[in-house]
Amino acid sequence: MMMARRFSIAECLARNASPIVLCGAIALIVIGTALANNAALDRTVIEALIRIVYVVGLYIFVGNSGVISFGHTAFMAIGAYATAWQDCCRTTKPLLMPALPKVLLEATVPPPLATIVSGVVASLFAAVVGVAIIRLSGISASIATFAVLAIVNVIFSNWDSLTAGTSTLVGIPNYTDHWFALLWAVIAIFAAHFYQTSRFGLSLRVSREDEVAAKASGVSIFSQRLIAFVISAFFVGVSGALYAHFLGTISVDAFYIDITLLTLAMLVVGGMNSLSGAVVGVGAISLLIEVLRQSEHGFALGSLTVSAPHGTQEIGLGVAMLIMLIFRRNGIAGNQEIGWRLSRFLAPQLQRSSKVTEDY
Amino acid sequence: MKNRFIGTCIVAAVGAIALSGIVLAEEKPIVIGFAIAQSGWFAINDEGGIKAANLAIDELNAAGGILGRKIEAIYADTKSDRAQGAKAALEVLEKGADVVFVDLDYDMGAPAALEASKAGKISFSIGAEDVKMGAQGVGPLAFTSGPAAQLEGAAMAEWGYEKKGFKTAYILTDTLIEYNKSVCYGYEFAAKNLAGAKIVGRDTFKNGDPSIVSQVTRIKNLNPAPDVIMLCTFTPGGGAAVRQIRAAGIKTPIFASIAMDGNHWMDAVPNLSDFYYPVHGSIYGDDPRTAVNDVVKKYKAKYSAEPPFSHAFLGYIATTLYAKAVERANSTDTKKVVAALESPDGIPTIVGPYAFSHDLHIQDKFSFPIMSIQDGKHAVMDSWTTKTPFGIKELLRKGE
Amino acid sequence: MMISALQILVDAISLGSLYALATLGVGLVFGVLRLANFAYGDFITVASYALIIPTAGATVEIVIGRWPWPFLVIAVAGVVVILSLASEYFVFRPLRTAKPAVLMVGSFALGYIIQNIIIVVYDGRPKAVGLWPELGEAIVLSGLRMPRLELLIIVVTLVLLGALVLFLKASPFGVQMRAASEDFRMARMLGVRANTVIGTSLVISGFLAAVVSLLFLAQVGVMSFNMGVPLMLFAFVATVIGGMGSLTGAVVGGYIVGFASILLQALLPEHLRTFRDAFVFVVVIVILVVRPQGLLVPRAARERV
Repeated sequence: MMMARRFSIAECLARNASPIVLCGAIALIVIGTALANNAALDRTVIEALIRIVYVVGLYIFVGNSGVISFGHTAFMAIGAYATAWQDCCRTTKPLLMPALPKVLLEATVPPPLATIVSGVVASLFAAVVGVAIIRLSGISASIATFAVLAIVNVIFSNWDSLTAGTSTLVGIPNYTDHWFALLWAVIAIFAAHFYQTSRFGLSLRVSREDEVAAKASGVSIFSQRLIAFVISAFFVGVSGALYAHFLGTISVDAFYIDITLLTLAMLVVGGMNSLSGAVVGVGAISLLIEVLRQSEHGFALGSLTVSAPHGTQEIGLGVAMLIMLIFRRNGIAGNQEIGWRLSRFLAPQLQRSSKVTEDY
Repeated sequence: MKNRFIGTCIVAAVGAIALSGIVLAEEKPIVIGFAIAQSGWFAINDEGGIKAANLAIDELNAAGGILGRKIEAIYADTKSDRAQGAKAALEVLEKGADVVFVDLDYDMGAPAALEASKAGKISFSIGAEDVKMGAQGVGPLAFTSGPAAQLEGAAMAEWGYEKKGFKTAYILTDTLIEYNKSVCYGYEFAAKNLAGAKIVGRDTFKNGDPSIVSQVTRIKNLNPAPDVIMLCTFTPGGGAAVRQIRAAGIKTPIFASIAMDGNHWMDAVPNLSDFYYPVHGSIYGDDPRTAVNDVVKKYKAKYSAEPPFSHAFLGYIATTLYAKAVERANSTDTKKVVAALESPDGIPTIVGPYAFSHDLHIQDKFSFPIMSIQDGKHAVMDSWTTKTPFGIKELLRKGE
Repeated sequence: MMISALQILVDAISLGSLYALATLGVGLVFGVLRLANFAYGDFITVASYALIIPTAGATVEIVIGRWPWPFLVIAVAGVVVILSLASEYFVFRPLRTAKPAVLMVGSFALGYIIQNIIIVVYDGRPKAVGLWPELGEAIVLSGLRMPRLELLIIVVTLVLLGALVLFLKASPFGVQMRAASEDFRMARMLGVRANTVIGTSLVISGFLAAVVSLLFLAQVGVMSFNMGVPLMLFAFVATVIGGMGSLTGAVVGGYIVGFASILLQALLPEHLRTFRDAFVFVVVIVILVVRPQGLLVPRAARERV
């Protein structure tokens, strides 16, 4: 039976079931937080949303190309500092970062615009760097991305007149509230979804499974990877800008190995091969950290306070991650996208399944 | 007749209620909220300061408290994490903190201090040595009990020049953190004012480098050898550097910063001699000021160990400063306390008088006992008060 | 100035040897077995901390650290070997057939756990153990200074390299190891006791971690909870630029990184010296772009279609 090519809501929902479900769930959590009116909970949720933007950005490259990048934190650093250059500390900026061009020293860019510009700066940097290193494959590419992170870290730590060096910059406007963070999380998730279901994303995924076959089918692996790299850098850069607007202070050492390992762990534990995996990974690990922190903080049992000893949170986190990896090799989401059952229900005529080939 | 009686009763009743109100208000404690690292890698650095602060609180309470009110300490763990630090500040503020005490390190404590400022409360660092813990950074409600890091370098430059006749110096900076760069900046800035003093060379390394063999070679090749090597670093890299320098047979006297205080790295350089550095106060009980030695005794009595670093005294001093300011302001209202802190009268502490101003919430001159290590043993050798004037520009390391 | 150039060369060889030794341990497991063990840096840290025991006060008790060197080395190596075996049993074996990314994150988690256990047990402050101070003395030959420790490191590295290469080439174990790394399942079908092979490799690399740790501690005298991390990072980088799958390549990679570090530190003008590590990593990227498979590549390594 021939299908009439007409716009159908069910079909639209079905095609986009995954991001809709994910964003819906996140939105519900944010609304709940807004109603709860608890400052600490609010901050925890915003931090998780910022991490979602980062990890979804990371996923756009790592999940689709299969190349593990240890260097994406460099984009976060660039995003954060680009933000500081635009809207930090009006009065002390000329004193702390005198090497900035006059137009930046005198301007204070409104935070929403600054956030977008920061993302763009990060992707420009990724484009330049990517041309050199995207050609590499497998482990060489991963080491090269780490080298990029190390280089950015050293340069930012020592170019005192441009970044105030190892000094902590204070005075970035606190613009990131839960709505702004939610907005960017939603944008990131939909962007990742549209990318991975587009021709570009699909070509890249093919190369992830079998490089030689992809080349034989006419896919230019270099171009596709570069495109993914640049798009992913945009969102990771934005996450840096969000972070700067959240904490109000930034310093170079916050953007190095610790955050790299944490975000990579979130992606892998959630499931490296699916967008849902990226989001679920952030959620699961953020929740785990909070629960463990609370246990160290203590619960009141009658008149006693029961609390776990110091170090429980960190060690518990490590053990929990190991257990999750051992029992769910492909991550919590496996290789599936949340909502594919829903999409089958809404529009069964779409034979396209978002279930990707399982690795054995 | 009746009216007068009723009137007196009413007055008495109102008076009683008012009085009881005052009595109840007097019992409400002054709450100091500690948003500091109780776990994680940074915890050991805050520990001494927190313990010493508690010592000060105990003493003040034993003497009747401040304005007739007891001081109460509440805690929230930053877990050595900046974002968590902000949450810790929120937590103590929610629990009714009148002031927030933050980490002794500016980088770690800034997020917590920012939250306190946003809530309109004073934040006090228990020893940050960065001027940005003040109006030029966190904001006009932030203070620190620390001297500016530049002063440490200046003290060594001046003391070495005057008392040891050191004119030529070689500067070796550990570029990992801002504090190290500030100390060496202070040394150089002070040396500019000393006739005949010269920096014969500079080099850098990074804390954690497995080897500084190149830097050592450069020093060995200096001809003539400098009078002193100024080393701006902290352990573990600092211990490694001194070990490698002495192992290479370089007997030149070494100056360092307060960050090298403590016994924990002595085993790396057996029989170390000719090593000098400033301290806020001596933790070994031989400080020239009895008030400081008294605190060491009381600390030992309460905690069965001496303070780990001289930064502990800054925690004690932070408590003193806040308490005295509240006393002078006769209230815990932020504006009044800030005004009291910024008053040109200054506030006496165990190490001497402290003075803040509207622009400067950190000390820009300081008296340091000079510690010397001879044969692996620590002893206070001398005392020095900095003479070089430091303006805001120099404290931001932007002066030339 | 002639002495100075030679001295720079001598200094470069000395740092290179330390990196080469660290890379050997990483290269054995990562290069040959394709097992990324990001907890290796923490194995190195544990080796040094095994010398002391924590006490209530500020100082620690140096226990094993006071033993004569043969017993010391064996005891410390024993501790790390036990740690390696435990890691193999609890972490690496359950994840054996998982994707490389999962193994990587699993080893991060392991390293994170170890690091935080050290912080809880010993606290975050660095500890000093003045190990073998007599090695700090230098041999001076016509103006050239070479500390005895550096000479020892060079000798130890070359001896261990030789022993390992011989072991891999000439012993049946070595052949089995390379088979297991190429195709784990196939190797098992052919009768290779792959789990034993891999377990043994981890034990050897644990021993190497102990050796690196002790020599590093003899150099710096101070240990801290993350002391092994910079060494490990450079070791991974060096393994890849030296050539995966080749032990000699790993050692060469280590020397290259060491040389680059020292040469840059000695020759860069003062205001650029703080950017030294950035230059080192630029060199790494250049090497990777020019020779993506590494400098010394064993014949079997290139993928053929």
